[in-house]
Amino acid sequence: MAEPVLEVEGLVKHYPLTRGVLFRRQIGSVKAVDGVDFTLGRGETLGIVGESGCGKSTVAKLLCHLERPTAGAIRYRGEDITKLSGKALKAVRRNIQMVFQDPYTSLNPRMTVGDIVGEPYEIHPEAAPKGDRRRRVQELLDVVGLDPEYVNRYPHQFSGGQRQRIGIARGLALHPEIIVADEPVSALDVSVQAQVINLMDRLQAEFELSYVFIAHDLSIVRHISDRVAVMYLGRIVETGTDTEIYDHPTHPYTQALLSAVPVPDPDARDRRERIILSGDVPSPADIPSGCRFRTRCFKARERCALEVPALAVPAEFRYATGPAVHDSACHFAEELRVVPAEEHGNGPG
Amino acid sequence: MLLEVRDLRVEFRARDGVAHAVNGVTCQVDAGETLAVLGESGSGKSVTAQTVMGILDTPPGRITGGEILFRGQDLLKLKEDERRRIRGAEMAMIFQDALSALNPVLTVGDQLGEMFVVHLGTSRKDARARAVELMDRVRIPAAAQRVRDYPHQFSGGMRQRIMIAMALALEPALVIADEPTTALDVTVQAQVMDLLAELQREYRMGLVLITHDLGVVADVADRIAVMYAGRIVESAPVHDLYKAPAHPYTRGLLDSIPRLDLKGRELYAIKGLPPSLTRIPPGCAFHPRCPMARDVCRTDPPPLYEVDEQRGSACHFWRECLDG
Repeated sequence: MAEPVLEVEGLVKHYPLTRGVLFRRQIGSVKAVDGVDFTLGRGETLGIVGESGCGKSTVAKLLCHLERPTAGAIRYRGEDITKLSGKALKAVRRNIQMVFQDPYTSLNPRMTVGDIVGEPYEIHPEAAPKGDRRRRVQELLDVVGLDPEYVNRYPHQFSGGQRQRIGIARGLALHPEIIVADEPVSALDVSVQAQVINLMDRLQAEFELSYVFIAHDLSIVRHISDRVAVMYLGRIVETGTDTEIYDHPTHPYTQALLSAVPVPDPDARDRRERIILSGDVPSPADIPSGCRFRTRCFKARERCALEVPALAVPAEFRYATGPAVHDSACHFAEELRVVPAEEHGNGPG
Repeated sequence: MLLEVRDLRVEFRARDGVAHAVNGVTCQVDAGETLAVLGESGSGKSVTAQTVMGILDTPPGRITGGEILFRGQDLLKLKEDERRRIRGAEMAMIFQDALSALNPVLTVGDQLGEMFVVHLGTSRKDARARAVELMDRVRIPAAAQRVRDYPHQFSGGMRQRIMIAMALALEPALVIADEPTTALDVTVQAQVMDLLAELQREYRMGLVLITHDLGVVADVADRIAVMYAGRIVESAPVHDLYKAPAHPYTRGLLDSIPRLDLKGRELYAIKGLPPSLTRIPPGCAFHPRCPMARDVCRTDPPPLYEVDEQRGSACHFWRECLDG
């Protein structure tokens, strides 16, 4: 792997649940993120997938230091940013920027596009001298495919896709190394999603960016990611390269997730077998003992309630080689192909 | 034919002019058939559904033309109380957002039971029993206890099941589902779509599934109608459409999906943006974004050409498109 720019170790974020107004006491905690480890290489894209409530957005907030973790470390170039404050923190933050999901609420409606994209320079004046800022902002708009003449317009004058470009331009203003994108295209129409994904791909090559790309749409994550981490109830349950995860999943949750994704090919209807999970995701305030997926798992046995499976290459695969050998937090991991092999060539295009 | 919509037109008065939301939609659904209406936001798919159901707000909406034939009877000619008898009993709707479609201050049992009380004159007690039965039907665990719960006490997937139960309560002949699983996670979406398909088979309902998700469509639809700027631009049996689209917009949509099973290079992207409904381009509404556009497309709106007995395409050059 490329030289790591971000190393996350044992990341935990618990939100306290309290009762009482005058005498507040803690009655439990919501374990939004409950022990997450990963490494992000330079110029690499790590995709994080999972269903709502799995903690993926909380991870994004922790990475950008919008929330302080309960425990764990986030090392940027070897330095733990969770311990930083003041000037040192400000300096690090320049290099880790965020692109938000909702291009409607993440742009201030009373600011012009020029002010929005140029605002990072107010906070980090050393990044661009005052007289030069307008030109820089116009350059940024050009880079993301917007007309530089738009600097004086307001967000409501733009479509969703254009607004997301504005959000990306703001994220790029300080020449960060890492961009954390939390569901950057899920609010957009299908025909516009492709435009924004292509833009992000192009910018990554141009500026050597590393992406943490968070989404629930598995096909988009596969398209853009080098490596993928699958989250469930605050933990990563399986991680590997895109081929390892999508074509050779060994964790039952990943298998169920992949099998549930509707494939845009009516001929696949009869060829594939769906794993339909029973029930709903348990509350993150009341996480099952042992393996947290066991209450919905089609493979669960006694051992799963007693022992927490570690995220590592499963024992069964210790002497094996090939793409099925990757980290998977399951006691009974085994390979199962769930996305049917395609005979291509008859598709459109 | 169960439902036949002919040349339906709906407009809205907006601040900056008249928004032409539906501009001559023609489509039909048979009993036991699933028609998917595919379109992006602003394509007019939800307005069409609301007009068929008779729940369009007028004003600001205005139906300016067309017919909606339900079992041969034009719904637009009926009086409101006659329509109300059909709505719920013979045709029902499933909404995207169950939390805002259900009444938050009534228990789900009361809301389900109300269907029987209002339409069939069932007693409150019997209605409660029917409600429990329905909840069992859509596989809500411990239905007998949960019938007294309020909508907010259910998860998103369970709430959507209650919506389905409510729509199917009186065994309607036609169900219109407007993005029924868009708000749900994929594993829950699979559960709900499975349930819907199973109940449809059982009751032989006609199902109109409104969605923007090409994956869901491929999974469940028999036929597809693709909408763009208030018109149906292509209609075809599902296998034909995915194999060879006959309209450049459909082709663009299919090409722009990253496929799980095909790690891509640069994605194909349709250039530009969908038009504003107050300023629909003249000629073919898709021409400013179309890679195949020629002079005639800028001036002459294409009719829905017959591609074969079962297919139609509103493109002057559908033959070229079909050949790829």
